[in-house]
This record gives sequence, structure tokens and C-alpha cells, in this order.
Amino acid sequence: MIFKNYFLVPALLTFVFSCSTKDRTITGPGNLVAKTVDQDPGLPAIQVNNSLLHSEAFGPAGATMIVALHGGPGADYRYLLPCKDLAARGYRVVFYDQRGSGLSQRFPKKSYTAPGAKAMDQLYDELNAVIEHYRTRPDQKVVLLGHSWGGMLASGFTGKYPGRVQGLIVCEPGGLQWKDVEHYVKDSRSMKLWSEVLNDAAYLDQFINGKEDQHEILDYKMSMLSSKNEITGEGAFDPTVSWRDGAVIMDALFDVGEKYNTDFSAGLNDFKKPVLFFYSEKNRAYPDSWAQRITAAYPSVSRVKVPGVGHDGIITNQKAWTGTTLPQILTYLSTLQ
Amino acid sequence: MKKYSTSGIVFIAFFLAQATAYTQTINWNNIHNNRQLVHASVGAEYGLVFGVGYSYKLTDNKFPLVATAEYSFPSGSTLTDDFKTKIGGQLRLAQLGDFRFAVKAQGVFRRYENDLVRLANWGVDCSGTIGYYRPRWFAGAEAGFDKAIATHFKHSHQYREEYPEVKDGWYEPATGGNFYYGLQTGISFKRYDLTLKGGNILAQDFKSKPILPFYAQLGCNFRIGSLGEK
Repeated sequence: MIFKNYFLVPALLTFVFSCSTKDRTITGPGNLVAKTVDQDPGLPAIQVNNSLLHSEAFGPAGATMIVALHGGPGADYRYLLPCKDLAARGYRVVFYDQRGSGLSQRFPKKSYTAPGAKAMDQLYDELNAVIEHYRTRPDQKVVLLGHSWGGMLASGFTGKYPGRVQGLIVCEPGGLQWKDVEHYVKDSRSMKLWSEVLNDAAYLDQFINGKEDQHEILDYKMSMLSSKNEITGEGAFDPTVSWRDGAVIMDALFDVGEKYNTDFSAGLNDFKKPVLFFYSEKNRAYPDSWAQRITAAYPSVSRVKVPGVGHDGIITNQKAWTGTTLPQILTYLSTLQ
Repeated sequence: MKKYSTSGIVFIAFFLAQATAYTQTINWNNIHNNRQLVHASVGAEYGLVFGVGYSYKLTDNKFPLVATAEYSFPSGSTLTDDFKTKIGGQLRLAQLGDFRFAVKAQGVFRRYENDLVRLANWGVDCSGTIGYYRPRWFAGAEAGFDKAIATHFKHSHQYREEYPEVKDGWYEPATGGNFYYGLQTGISFKRYDLTLKGGNILAQDFKSKPILPFYAQLGCNFRIGSLGEK
């Protein structure tokens, strides 16, 4: 008996110790999702408009500035890093995670929704502040390169401030008018009731719950949902990688869009410069007819269909990037000189 | 923050499961004729779900107690990666004419897996049902709470490519919980009960809702054995 206790007690203590949950809370910074720039001072960051943003820039400081705008809303710029190739070609390439997205600082949902119909102005002002942060001379040219949601943001900014942008490159924005956004989201997320993806998404809700502004939990759950989409090709046949999702800003901007019918095409008629527009062959929710419908908002546009890839592959697929997307961008940029 | 070992929680959940077990939709007015029930169901509960179960009536006195074991799984291309098991019991606490009030408590073990993570969770599901029960039909209302007490996270290589520092292991405090409330009805004939229940699901903050904010279940009970059979 004594022998047994000598064995059992340490074994039990070892088991209990191995099961210890010390420091493992689902709300704890860095446990399930990466820390944001306000939680990890080691990350590259800039301070603009009272917000700490995860941001980096590459290439000659005074060269034509290309600002890469990530998708989502709520995603991050990690998957856009192939655009660094433009820095080697002499351009200044700026990356940043939008507020509440990626590794940038988080804010309460109400901070996004409180401005009501003017909610997008926060993001336009933020983009303007990022440009000014990196601008080294007054006549420095600025080109926006937006993917998906980033393309909507870039278009909305260009329509609002047509004189501040010298070039616009857009990759597969879902829509520019809210009814088109809703249509695209419905098409691109129309999963079958019995599918693995839908059941994976729904089944998780009995394991983890998060309150409105519990960013760590909500961002983690969002990362579980957005890992793969066989309709658009996201994560399904094109590799895609991210740092962290921003669930609260995504939820807030969809709420605002539904309530106020956000229009990202407003003012684009005043932007007379050419626009370069990419869409992908394998995104089943983005046929030629949809690309034509969306590009009707730009007075002057060149459409490029990227073969063999889906939504993210326009940039993340190395073959497509080096074979189609990058050469087309370089040709376009050369026309702006 | 309170510090404790998850093994303690697991033990409590397991103890509750053993002590109180129960479940499925029961017609309390004809359960006295039979000691055992087998049960099959299809419905929506955090996905399109299929389930089977077995119940055994432990006592048939003033407070009938039925022990139940259930297994359910959601549809999808991989059928074995996600599932839920419940072991527990339901106790009829009160009877007034054809009205009955019953409570249930179940220990829950559930598993979830996708490309990024594998989760294992111990929880407890407690609810109450009040209804009008006749030998050939019944109708009632139920309300309950499903608590995810302790969850073990094991992340895949794919997720670690995105976030290498993610911490695997047991997490505390409780990672989730949902309230549910709804109606249930059924008809009974020969040795069968056909049952239907449905309602809403609300997260424990009383604000947010799950992706599927409702549940619905079509079930069939088959009664076997008669009272006195073992």
C-alpha cells in the first residue's frame, strides 16, 4: 500500500501539473492568436490618428509610393508580401494592417459603428495619414494597390480624393455598391447544408463563445471560419497565409454597410486616370460578367483575367504573380511616369 | 485569476454524467410500460446532425429516473472528426393530472476537428421540461443550458505556420456556453414514439447567437422490454 502511494501520488501530481491551465485563458494575449502591436513592442508599427498600426515600407523612400491594401475587412498584409518585388524594381512599397485588423491595435465595435454613415471616413482618414507618414516629398506619386476588400477601400478613397492618387490597381473587389457586395458575399459563401465547411463553421459554436469586444476569442473563431473556400479558391487551391483576423471590425463594417448601403463607387467618375483591374479564372463567384459589372464604375479601366488561380492566387500564387500580375503592374506603372 | 487543474473539472463532469445521466424526448405517460428505449434522430444543432441513443429506466416509483447515453455527429465529408456524446439522466419531478415536470442533467464530451485545430471538450447540459402528456401524444416546452467547461486545443502544422507560438493544452476558464429554449411534441403508437422538437439558441452573454441560432430535431423512439424485464 505504501509502495502504491509512493507511486500514485507523484503520478497524480505529475498528471495534475501537466493539465495545469496556468496562463492558458482563451482571452489571454498571445495564447491562441498573435499579439497586436500594442501588446508586442517588437513588431514594426506606426502611430497615426491615435491608432497604432502594424506597418512596414520597402524600397527607396522618395520613389513612387505603392500602398498595398489587404482584404477582409479584418485580414492582414502578410499574403500581399509578394508585392515587395516592386521595391526591387525601384518603387516604395508600403504595407499596413488597417485599424482593428491583422496585428494592428484593436478598438471596441462601437468606435467603428458610432459615426454611422460616415464610418468609412475613419478608414479613408487612416489611409491618408499612412500616405502622409511615409511621404518624403510633396510631389511623390501615390498608387493604391487593393485586393478584395482592399480594392473596395482603394476605390472609395480614390473617389473621395481623386487628386491624391496617381494610379489605382484593384484585384477582385466583391462589389463597389452595397447591393453588389451582398450579392457577391451570398454567391461566394453559398455552402451546402451538409458540407464539411459549413458544419465545421457551425459546430465550433458549442465549444467557444466570445462577447462583443473579446477580440482574442472572436479573432480566433474567425480564423477557424476563413481558412478555406472552394468557391473562391481561398486556401483551397492557392496557398494563403495570414497573421491574425480582425473579427470585430469585419462585423462592424458589415453592419454599417447593411444599414447605410455604403457606396465605394461614389466619386470615381472624377478619377480620369487609367485603372488596372485583376480578376481570377477559378473564382466561381467572379465570372467575366461580374468583372464587367464591377468595372463599369471606372471611367478608364483595363481588365486582366489571371489564369489558373482563385481569389488570393492573383497575388499569392508565385507562378501567376511572376507570370501575369507583376508584369502587368510594372507595365501599368511605367505608363504613369 | 483563479488557478486550478483541469483534471478536477473533468472529474466533476464525469461524476455528474454518471450520477444523473439522461436525455432524449420522452413521452412520460407511456414510459411506464417499458424499461428500455432506443432512439434515432436527425436535425439541426450546430450543423446538420444525426444521432442515436439508448435509455434505461432505473426507477419506476413516484420519481421515475431514466438513464440515457447518446451519440451524435454532424454531416460532412469526414464523419468521424466531429461528434458529441452525452451520458446522463432525466428525472420526472412532479405530476399534476396529465401535466409533468422533468429535469435532466448530462455530462457531455465532444470533439471538433478542422484543418487548423482539434478540440476536445468536457461539459454539462442541464434543462427542464414541462408538458402535457397523454398515452398517444404529448406537447411541452423545454429550456436548458449547455456549458463547455474545459477544452483541450491541439493545433495543426497549418495553423502553426500562421502562428508558431500558439499554446496547446487545456484552457480555462470555461470556453463557452449556450442557452436553448423551445417546444417539443410527439405521437406514440405501438412501440414507437415519433418526436419533434425545436427552438432557439442564445450564447451565454444573452446577446450573441451561434451561426445556426436554432435547433430542430425529428426523432423516433422504439420501446423494448416490458416492466419487470431486465
